[in-house]
Amino acid sequence: MPELAVIRDVAPEASIAADVTIGPYCVIGPGVSIGPGTRLRRRVTVTGQTTIGAENTFDDGCVIGCAPQDLKYRGGPTQLAIGNRNRFDKLVTAHIGTEEGGGLTRIGSDCVLMHGAHVAHDCFVDDEVHLGRHVQLAGHIRVERGAVIEAFAGVHHFSTIGRHARVRARTPVRRDVPPYTDFYSTNPDIQPASVHGIHRKGLWAARLAPLEEWELHRTLLELFADEWALQTRIEHLVNIGVEGEALKVCRFCQRSLSGPFGRYREALRGQPPPEVKAYYASSHTDNIGRSR
Amino acid sequence: MPEISERASVDPSAQLASDVVVGAFACIGPDVRIASGCVVENNVTITGRTLLGPHTHVYPLAVVGASPPQAEAPGECIIGPGNTIREHVTIHAGAHDGPPTQVGQDNLIMIAAQIDFGAAVGNHGIIANCAVIEAGAVIEDYVRISAFSVVHADVRVGAYTFVASWADIDHHAPPYAMLQGCPFRVRGVNSHNLKRCGFDEDDIRAIKHAFRDLFDPHRGDVDTEALETLRQCDDLNPHVLRLVEAMALPAAPEPVGAEDA
Repeated sequence: MPELAVIRDVAPEASIAADVTIGPYCVIGPGVSIGPGTRLRRRVTVTGQTTIGAENTFDDGCVIGCAPQDLKYRGGPTQLAIGNRNRFDKLVTAHIGTEEGGGLTRIGSDCVLMHGAHVAHDCFVDDEVHLGRHVQLAGHIRVERGAVIEAFAGVHHFSTIGRHARVRARTPVRRDVPPYTDFYSTNPDIQPASVHGIHRKGLWAARLAPLEEWELHRTLLELFADEWALQTRIEHLVNIGVEGEALKVCRFCQRSLSGPFGRYREALRGQPPPEVKAYYASSHTDNIGRSR
Repeated sequence: MPEISERASVDPSAQLASDVVVGAFACIGPDVRIASGCVVENNVTITGRTLLGPHTHVYPLAVVGASPPQAEAPGECIIGPGNTIREHVTIHAGAHDGPPTQVGQDNLIMIAAQIDFGAAVGNHGIIANCAVIEAGAVIEDYVRISAFSVVHADVRVGAYTFVASWADIDHHAPPYAMLQGCPFRVRGVNSHNLKRCGFDEDDIRAIKHAFRDLFDPHRGDVDTEALETLRQCDDLNPHVLRLVEAMALPAAPEPVGAEDA
């Protein structure tokens, strides 16, 4: 253990790797497991059934693994699982899952969560996601790989943010955000936020083959030229046989259209979503945190 | 004996009930009283002349009873029973010569919300993440305030009202309403909440009729003629009467310095 002569409150039952740095006034609960190379700065609280991978950084005042703010939560031993190499800035909060939502909140690897960001119960955040300052994710949200959510944006529960999409600052997200799009509202008080073009940086970050990227680009242009005609455009594009990433985007939009209020995950209320089931299948614990 | 962590800093003159739990690194000041069943988690600060009602749960890094800016003496803060105060919430104490900050019972105050000095929050409310209740504002019962909303100083938000996210409540808001926008507009009746709270169909219909006369969802102002007509009605539904009375409240005073801007 490091030789920092500081006071902190670490439960003896917690499983903490040898080279973890824990700053002053940190509190670590008994159900916590922290991987090697992780650094906890000052006043970080980690409680609940929380698993943290390797080389994460938690800055001052982070509170990780507290009970959800959901009134339906009955106090079960649900989990929070955090991957590797994430950066949690100051005052970031993340909660464990609820029994009804599958019992798991997941944050992937290589994410950046900036000052005051909040990841609520049962959110499933993939790798390389960027959450800006004070971004508030409500419960049961899926944020797919590489998505960027800018400062003061808020996301409605059961929404999905697509791969490499960009949600601009102070955007109220109330429905699914399609992949590779630039999503905002020019006047958030009057107009609901919608797709305003392609997020080109995201398109490059996806590192697709040139032909696939060209097809995806054409597909996105055609899909969102007129969002009122989205259904017919999806059918047309699927009929002419788009492939690969372009087809995935069409399927994403079709799924969102089928869900209530434009939110696919709303249809999964009360049951664990497929990616949570896949996570349990690949990990060593079941949905209430017991080791197999 | 209360279950106090050996790493907590609790002033010996603070009054704690016998079953209170205090986590590590919590700081509890001298004039604090904490009733039975309360849980104060780690790194929480409770100062000022603060009363924490029974079965209140305060989560890590919340600050309750902090002095308002330029305070000469600690102010008073009264938190009712059954409240949940989440991480990073700040509840200021009242000014030393002003009214106390009051929070009723069974409220859920979510992450990073802020309640300023002298504000009064009613019962059974939900104040979502990052919402701000400014000094002297009054929030009535069963109000839901969504994330990032701001209720301005000395403004009253009527009972059963829903405030949408990012709304700016800069003047008195009526009861039973759905509010949205910056500055806010009345977008309709919060019938979902009314049904949940046990209002019958006739009451909801009467409230909806009154709203249709009084508010245009695309405009911010109230139809004064319709308000006068409603006021002269003899057999008003009691809920509509409450709405009409709320509309007659004198406007909140202009904030200091507003005339210079």
